[in-house]
Amino acid sequence: MYSLELSDVLKRYSSGGEPVVALDRVDFAVSPGEFVAVVGPSGSGKSTLLNVLGLLDDPTDGQRLLNGTDVTDLSVAERTTARKESIGFVFQDFHLLPTLSAVENVALPTAFDPGDASDRAASLLDRFGLGDRLGHEPSELSGGQKQRVAIARSLINDPAVLLADEPTGNLDTETGSSILAEFERVKSEGVAVVAVTHDPLVEEYADRVVELTDGVVVDGVPDETDADIGVFGDDGDDGDDDERRIRRSTASGDR
Amino acid sequence: MSDTDRSGWIRGWRPAASMAARNLRRNRMRTVLAVLGVCIGVLAVAALGIFGNVLALGADDAIGDIGTQVVVSPNADAGVESLSEADVTAIRRAVDDPSVGDPAVVPLYSDNAVVAGQSAQTFATVYGVSEPGLAFDAAEGELPERHRQGAIVGAGVAEELAVEPGDTVEIAGSQVRVVAVLAESQTFSPVAPDDAVFLPESAFAADGYAQALVVSESGATAQVAADAIREEVNAREERVDLFELAAVVDEINGFFDLLGTFLLGLGGISLVVAGVSILNVMLMSTVERRQEIGVMRAVGVTRRDVLRVLLAEAGLIGAAGAVAGTLLTVVLVAALVVSTPAVDASLVLDPTNGYYLLLALAFGVGVGVVSGAYPAWKAANERPVEALRS
Repeated sequence: MYSLELSDVLKRYSSGGEPVVALDRVDFAVSPGEFVAVVGPSGSGKSTLLNVLGLLDDPTDGQRLLNGTDVTDLSVAERTTARKESIGFVFQDFHLLPTLSAVENVALPTAFDPGDASDRAASLLDRFGLGDRLGHEPSELSGGQKQRVAIARSLINDPAVLLADEPTGNLDTETGSSILAEFERVKSEGVAVVAVTHDPLVEEYADRVVELTDGVVVDGVPDETDADIGVFGDDGDDGDDDERRIRRSTASGDR
Repeated sequence: MSDTDRSGWIRGWRPAASMAARNLRRNRMRTVLAVLGVCIGVLAVAALGIFGNVLALGADDAIGDIGTQVVVSPNADAGVESLSEADVTAIRRAVDDPSVGDPAVVPLYSDNAVVAGQSAQTFATVYGVSEPGLAFDAAEGELPERHRQGAIVGAGVAEELAVEPGDTVEIAGSQVRVVAVLAESQTFSPVAPDDAVFLPESAFAADGYAQALVVSESGATAQVAADAIREEVNAREERVDLFELAAVVDEINGFFDLLGTFLLGLGGISLVVAGVSILNVMLMSTVERRQEIGVMRAVGVTRRDVLRVLLAEAGLIGAAGAVAGTLLTVVLVAALVVSTPAVDASLVLDPTNGYYLLLALAFGVGVGVVSGAYPAWKAANERPVEALRS
């Protein structure tokens, strides 16, 4: 079962005269523990794909499955709940709330729920090496630290999928690598990661690269062997992996 | 709504208020100006409301029991020169009814005479009355239940002649001992007790009363009494004229009600202006924070909770302004009372003024929430996809 799956999805915008087809009969799927990079030129429909995957936007036609459940046509409230429970977002601009501390930003999705998630938020931040920055506001953090806070926020509810929009777009190469290394850790815990990107670095870390051109996806669904690599790829010891580890260790010098 | 729903609903306000407070601190100057707007609006409503109320209370106090007296006089136009015993009986019969409040009927003889003290003399109205206690109050001495001897002197006359109980005055040539001096009258009526001297009925040889005072508990019962007397005594011929101020008092009270409403309306306008400024502040701030709100929605914060945060912001502005405005009103009114001796402190401390303070306080908070509702609703309902794009 895929974590998130689109089958035959059409997304058409009709705002402003001529209808625009942003996604043209797209089949796309991501397995638990798989890191998929979606690449393509500007205007190819990457953002739309991410919005439809993230339940921020609904497909005009086709089907959307989240953990095998049809989530094609949900009410606004149902979509909000599904996003909170199953989907984590990481944005290019981090999008942390400036008035909240790091730990409060991480706990934001659960801020209005019963119970206090600050302990869990704190341990997540600790895991990402920000244990000494819990009370800091975003303005007191570096770009890489902010993105780590954002990743921690995306994980607060143990999501099935983490969706990232240009996660390294505002970071230098070194910091970007360290963030991608965090993604590898996230996926090793069974979370499916989908990153929309221009950055060749992301492609290097991804298990699978899907190309999107003019709303058309080629090879959006993994075949069985690919999916297996997705789950266990991190344990593989092909030559590539060593190279990555080296990159990762240099990158962790950031913060 | 089940219990869990309700507790969830209440619980959601705590994080909302905390986020709202921090958002308000982000743009301090803007927040302070919006609070100031509400503060001035609340001040205007509370101060003008209290001002109107103090005016009305003061007028009420000054008019005193104008409205509680009905003066019955013979109708000279119909050839009636005085009120007969039969007329007085008819008047008593007319008002002898619990629904009229059982007012006291005090018939008066009347004449004019020179009244002289030790060192001065004055021209005064001299009334003959048998039960002065029913209509008047003594400042010095005691009013006899039945007036049999001596003179009761009005406050004005007593001051002019410098007499007090125990002294002797000369009225139309005869010496009479003063038994009491009346309290200064608050009443405006054809019977002006301040400039009068009251003697026992036996001092008069007239064959009829000049007037009869009907003293009621309140303006309303006085009016009923007047109507009853008209109906009873004037049934066949217009024997008596009635002088009553209850209707006038009603009109005066009506005027002050109108004035009070007008002043409140005036204050209300400034509160509306304050509301518009909150609307403006909230709209600006939600437009500026469009992305943030989009992020909140994207990561799973419900529309209701976003609405809550924004409403809490507007409500906090309203509440802060309302509390400041109310306190400022209290300080202002207190300062006014201290610096202006002419203002009667008891009028200002009247509990009804507290009502205007509460009213203004509630208005201030209400204006905040109402003006914040539209921007909050708009921001909460924006699709996160649109809000995140930009």
